[in-house]
Amino acid sequence: MSQEIISQVSSYLTSNVPVIPISQGAEAVVFTTTIHPYAPSNNNTDESIKYILKYRPPKKYRHPSIDKALTKHRTLSESRILAKLSQISGLHVPKLIACDVYNGCIWIEFLGEELPNGSGFSSLKNYLWMCVLDPYSKMVEDTLVKVGYQIGLLHWNDYCHGDLTTSNVVLQNSGTHWEPYLIDFGLGSASTLVEDKGVDLYVLERAVNSTHSRYAEKYSQWLMQGYKEVYEKQSKKGQNKLRDVLKRFEEVRLRGRKRSMLG
Amino acid sequence: MLRHSIPQFDSFEIHASLFTDVQNTEDLRAQVATMPFAMIDASTICSLEQLFCAVYKALVECKYNRLRTKTLNSECILSLSPTSNIAEAFKRFGIKEDSKNIVCLAVTNKSESPFSETVFKEQVKGNEIELSDENLSTTLNRETIKKVRNINCKCIG
Repeated sequence: MSQEIISQVSSYLTSNVPVIPISQGAEAVVFTTTIHPYAPSNNNTDESIKYILKYRPPKKYRHPSIDKALTKHRTLSESRILAKLSQISGLHVPKLIACDVYNGCIWIEFLGEELPNGSGFSSLKNYLWMCVLDPYSKMVEDTLVKVGYQIGLLHWNDYCHGDLTTSNVVLQNSGTHWEPYLIDFGLGSASTLVEDKGVDLYVLERAVNSTHSRYAEKYSQWLMQGYKEVYEKQSKKGQNKLRDVLKRFEEVRLRGRKRSMLG
Repeated sequence: MLRHSIPQFDSFEIHASLFTDVQNTEDLRAQVATMPFAMIDASTICSLEQLFCAVYKALVECKYNRLRTKTLNSECILSLSPTSNIAEAFKRFGIKEDSKNIVCLAVTNKSESPFSETVFKEQVKGNEIELSDENLSTTLNRETIKKVRNINCKCIG
């Protein structure tokens, strides 16, 4: 990772907030830190509590003023969506702690842990790989149904994730089971369109197909089971909406994620 | 009095106190604009996290010259509000005629003259108690906060 970006962040945060880079995407770099941005009770005694810092570095190939506007817009929209989602009861998303739109910084709650036996970080992807010895176990089924339920809840409330993959679902161990959290709403949006929901489902299906191909069929089935559960709880209206989404999902599957390029 | 400094903005110092049974609310209201600190109705504050989150936001705005109000202290009150309407923020989070419990908040730059410990006590006639989440939970009014923060879901316990 570019040392330049790290030094940019460090000079912005001052030496009081040490950060460790953990991941880089096309648009943002993700860091962890043990320092809370503003809470007074943090005496830095508990090193196990971590926070995520998502930083969107300025892009040199863009005109500075356009770059500023874009960074601000994207940071703000991601924060806004996270804040809205955390108000939906039953939906698990990381808590938004702070945001600085002028610098493209978002502080969020740290979720997940290291999986046992060196299986890596507890994303759904690593989890499914860990469970590969017994891929059709009850535990895997429960987890995937729960993931599907979360996605259903997201869509039922008219939000779309935009980049649903198995690595954008983080599992949190709650003693007896794994509780899924949806993360990374950088491409998220509030949308009432069935198209966006269909695409979300399609992207997820493709992700499952390509990372866990051997068991993908069963996995997708469990995911959809949880997804449908949300809609079926709602009366007639839910049934109708579900039918529309599934119908569009079929269409998207036939033509691919992108709509016709004509016109 | 609680003193705190935000790691990222360590050139600033935050001073905050909680007063209960304030007697001179009307006088305070009359001179709100001249006070060197912000006065917040304690019934709208549920935790230190909420309070310092607003301070953090105000400091961010201040650092990039985006202050929308005249001082850093008043910007803190504006930052508490879910909307960007200044008058509404002051009306909702500032002290009202019948406010009995008040949170006093001052954000000062360390390089300027040091903040006097006694400023709050000189102005506010009431009982000073420790500013903590525990004490704030006794002065909090859930209905008020739901109203001022525009929360209409049942998810907060």
